[in-house]
Amino acid sequence: MLRIHFGEAENVEYGPSWFKYNYKPEWFKDPFVQEMVKAVDDSTYIDGLVIDSPVLGPIPPERLSGGVKTLIMIYEKPELVFDATSCGQNCAKWLLEIGKKKDVTVNLEYMMMFDEYAPFEIFVTNEGHVLNNAEDLFLTAAKYI
Amino acid sequence: MRGNHHIVIESENLKYEFDIKRNITVIQGESASGKTTLIDLLNEHLRRRGAGGIRMQSDVSCAVYVAGEDNWEYELKGLSGKIVFFDEDYRFIYTKEFAEYAGKADNYFVFITRKPLKNLPYSINEIYGIRTTGKYHFPEQVYHEFYPIYEDKCNLIEPKARLMILVEDKESGYEFFTKVSDACKTVSAEGNAGIFPKMLEIPSDERVLVVADGAAFGAYAETVVKYAKKNGKVGLYFPESFEWMVLKSGVLEDNEIDRVLAEPENYIDSQEYISWERFFTALLIEKSQKERYMRYSKTKLPDYYLEDRNRKRIVDVIPEEIRMLLE
Repeated sequence: MLRIHFGEAENVEYGPSWFKYNYKPEWFKDPFVQEMVKAVDDSTYIDGLVIDSPVLGPIPPERLSGGVKTLIMIYEKPELVFDATSCGQNCAKWLLEIGKKKDVTVNLEYMMMFDEYAPFEIFVTNEGHVLNNAEDLFLTAAKYI
Repeated sequence: MRGNHHIVIESENLKYEFDIKRNITVIQGESASGKTTLIDLLNEHLRRRGAGGIRMQSDVSCAVYVAGEDNWEYELKGLSGKIVFFDEDYRFIYTKEFAEYAGKADNYFVFITRKPLKNLPYSINEIYGIRTTGKYHFPEQVYHEFYPIYEDKCNLIEPKARLMILVEDKESGYEFFTKVSDACKTVSAEGNAGIFPKMLEIPSDERVLVVADGAAFGAYAETVVKYAKKNGKVGLYFPESFEWMVLKSGVLEDNEIDRVLAEPENYIDSQEYISWERFFTALLIEKSQKERYMRYSKTKLPDYYLEDRNRKRIVDVIPEEIRMLLE
């Protein structure tokens, strides 16, 4: 399940930096990672460590967006808490998709909208319970952001 | 520092073109829109002193903050007359200490961040996303430009139910709006942080028009605008400030005011005014001194501004689609 801590939090990891110095080539063989890269960055995994970006051309993983790097870290290191504020609105769907596959906890410090994916299951750690609808989630997030 | 600064930075594959005209600018938006690439291009250009295959046009020099969290005061101390860019991963930019420094600095600051900077009074109009335009595909040069995220901020609502006016001001601005419409109840949120909590208190059979000082509402814009769009009963009006409305209305009949309002960025010094809102207050106080009866005070609105003719001129500053709600 996706667990979110809204607002400031201690001991939160910065995804783009983690990714830059810790990524593993085999992560990109996973179709789910390839799907996230395609959806968020509009970029296609080719082979090895080559990704085709429509804007930057053939790029190594280091040049992916901060958002997709953070998504990959959340997925690959579920035991850590990453700052999902690095993830733009176009990452919301993928946070939920990761949450369907693994138990992950992220920190969010802006009003990411999950409305179009309701009903969902998000555990809000600030309050200690699961929320399923966008209205409740928005009002809860607004208390802490 | 003052003025509008047009910046172009480009390589053979990428081009960014934008204007920076206030001391605080925020860039946010979706992932993969090119925010970090902009910082990388700037940083590379500055490091290589123009010899890295990146061209830049700007009438002022730029800097990218690349030092650490703990020594920012030392690192920024010597900077003057620059536009300083920050990528999203610095925590000190949210502190009161940094806000105090930024409020007196002879620099403009550009922050890449989605997190609200609650200690800095920045404008809702200077929060931008980056978008690419035209058909593109590598290796053609891809053009990136800024767009204001809250451009479409009017958020019209059905003129049916009873309307409440929720005003950020608690003094002169609030007093003015209490006299704008007999049909509307006016409530003060007592500051920009009070707007959203007050919005939640609206009875289900009422609508609300939020009036807040756009020049300093940046940190609160996201929650209020997104809630307004979801809720459907909230209209939004973000003039620069109430004092800007008075100046804009022409009730002081001073041609210099029109010249200043046409391009305020050329008159507002970042070292003197942390936000345009404060400049407009100072300008209104200065320009209203010539006659005792029109001397503006932030705490008590002189009757001059509430006289029918003058009140109407100030109300006419409000865009027609919002004004209609008040009738």
